[in-house]
Amino acid sequence: MLVLSIETSTPQTSVALGTEQGVIASVVLSWGRGHSETTVPAIHHLLEWSQVDLDQVGGIAVGLGPGLFTGLRIGVATGRTMAQVLGVPMVGIGSLDTLAYSVRYARERICAVADAKRGEVFYAFYRSVPGGVTRETTFTVAPPERLAAEIVASGEETLLVGNGSLLHRRVLEAEGSRVELASATNAFPLAVWLLELSVPRFQREDTSRWDEILPFYLRKSDAEINWSRRARSA
Amino acid sequence: MSGRAELTTTSPEGTRAVGAALAALLVPGDVVSLTGDLGAGKTCFVQGAAGALGVTEGVASPSFVLVREYRGVLPIYHMDVYRLDRIQEVLDLGFEDLLDPQGVIFIEWGSAIEGLLPDSHIEVELLTGEQETQRRVVLTARGPGWAERWERLLSSLESWRAA
Repeated sequence: MLVLSIETSTPQTSVALGTEQGVIASVVLSWGRGHSETTVPAIHHLLEWSQVDLDQVGGIAVGLGPGLFTGLRIGVATGRTMAQVLGVPMVGIGSLDTLAYSVRYARERICAVADAKRGEVFYAFYRSVPGGVTRETTFTVAPPERLAAEIVASGEETLLVGNGSLLHRRVLEAEGSRVELASATNAFPLAVWLLELSVPRFQREDTSRWDEILPFYLRKSDAEINWSRRARSA
Repeated sequence: MSGRAELTTTSPEGTRAVGAALAALLVPGDVVSLTGDLGAGKTCFVQGAAGALGVTEGVASPSFVLVREYRGVLPIYHMDVYRLDRIQEVLDLGFEDLLDPQGVIFIEWGSAIEGLLPDSHIEVELLTGEQETQRRVVLTARGPGWAERWERLLSSLESWRAA
């Protein structure tokens, strides 16, 4: 079964095409033009270079975040639109799950950490299990200091993966924490790992309809804008 | 750090020139918040700043479309939160992504979303003066990002400073 995977929850644009046999083609762009300009052309190139017709695609996998709003919205909207038009099922996978999966052979506990901007990170803890990783906590958004305190308090050896861990390494390598950082190549969730994670789900038909695919937005705010000034001048 | 300067301009060209003078000291990642009533010159100020940052196309008010994006010597974002009521609506515009470490952002009514702004930012308040074309421009710089630039900014604005 041919699957197209799209991961745009970070500054990186990453798309891949493959089957249960492995990856056929993949495009990764971490710098330069933004998601809105690159995601659809990258998919077009993948199909063209691998000489695959669009209607051969049997399923679409997307990264659901948590991540940066604009990229996430573009990736999810692109995936949903293609699935709707092609009439194929979708699989949505948490972007931190994909990050953790990329280092699944770690013997220590894994913490996937993505930059959430504004001095915060998105994170979740995982443990390696046969065939993959299992998430042990919910997705959280918090300052890196809080994550560092959690790691120190756990006393466990932890492998940190993701751009958030590289960006805040000084804080996370706090006194008393036993952490190791995964390499910069694993800084972003790659569509090839998303592909590998999603194929078994397509095979066992553990899929979603396009309109059931929604990104994780952790930053929900009920606050009103402080409009004392507007009220006064209106 | 926190620094405050009061300036007076006597024409829209003067307000643009103050914008241009501020722009000369902006660095990637800077956030400029603007407040001032309708017609006080917020867009005019941004036009001057954007021109100084190499934007050649016309800069129009973002009030209707909420965010406009320009390419000068660096990416420039011009946002207006006036028509929004909830912080969630600001986040839904991709606000985190607009705080681009490679670009600068001008936010009309940014002071209303103070909690979302980085510690270092500069506030520009435009007030109508006694004469029709006169404006008082109050600049307030906040955070460590402005500490070393503040004196240079003051000297570049010398000719508009209130006596």
